[in-house]
Amino acid sequence: MTPQILAIVMAVILLIAVILLLRSYVLPEKYAVIWLVASVAAIVLSAWPGLLDAVSGFFGIAQPINLLFVGAFFVILLLLMQISLELARTRDELRKVVQKLALEIEQVRRTDDD
Amino acid sequence: MRVLVAVPALNEAAVIGQVLDSIQTVHALADVVIVDDGSRDATASIARAHGAHVVSHAINLGVGAAMGTAFKYATRHGYDAVIQFDGDGQHRPEYIASLIKALDHADIVVGSRFADGGTFKSSAARRGVQRLISWVTSAYARTRITDATSGFRIAGPRALEVFAEHYPVEWLGDTVESIVLATRQGLTVREIPVVMNERAGGAPSQSIFRATLYTGRILLILGLAGIRSVPPQLRARRAHASREVTA
Repeated sequence: MTPQILAIVMAVILLIAVILLLRSYVLPEKYAVIWLVASVAAIVLSAWPGLLDAVSGFFGIAQPINLLFVGAFFVILLLLMQISLELARTRDELRKVVQKLALEIEQVRRTDDD
Repeated sequence: MRVLVAVPALNEAAVIGQVLDSIQTVHALADVVIVDDGSRDATASIARAHGAHVVSHAINLGVGAAMGTAFKYATRHGYDAVIQFDGDGQHRPEYIASLIKALDHADIVVGSRFADGGTFKSSAARRGVQRLISWVTSAYARTRITDATSGFRIAGPRALEVFAEHYPVEWLGDTVESIVLATRQGLTVREIPVVMNERAGGAPSQSIFRATLYTGRILLILGLAGIRSVPPQLRARRAHASREVTA
């Protein structure tokens, strides 16, 4: 087995995992797009190594694998950034909901006492 | 049949009063609920002052979630059908009766601007996009849908049961995805022709960038709907129902 086949198999497993998660409504489509794009890109790059060489040549990068590392690193940073922003927004919304709920419960208690 | 008119509204203080006045001519406001989706203006208090029931989301969740709340409200209060009526003044109350009447022949009835060769004016690009979306949705629904993104619709008893459990919440996806979901559950969808007003309030999505995003989004949702199975909530409902039958 060549390393290339191993890479293709891993990329295909990633794609299938993403599709199964989507199918069962575990992964919302908002986050699905980036994972679908990433897994398809992984399949294309592993099935067609010449593409990576050509793009590396264009940018003047001697070792094509370095382009892959830099690219993957950047994509992962973007994903982390997205998760941080989502988490911040979710915390903010949770705070608002808890505050509103607390005020509403107090209001109900007050009317019950009357 | 007890019919609830549900009005999802976000920051519609400028027009919500007029909208409720217009609904009142054909439907008792006691059977109208405004789902205020986290408005920052006086939408909720104006609606309450008019005599409609108001359910307020603490945060903005989108039209799909607002309708989800409306369907849960409807089952809790014993309604048989729910009409979605937008809070921006686009929909005309004179068609409410037509929607209810058409429910005799389907589980979901959509008010279409384009059925009957409607005359809603829009650019050629917009019409092309609408046609593409309608074509894909029609293929899923196995019936001709000319205005899949129309928010003016009624859900009958069987549809209400499904939608109270699960209603699509994705941005822009609720209208088309709910049709696909309903069809998957064996419900029937049909259209009746309606005329709509120009938007009185709210910002229309006019820019090219937003229009492209909108189209891409809806086509993605339709594509994903093709590979998706039944949402977990509905699967549990089905298993429960079949157990009852065998018991």
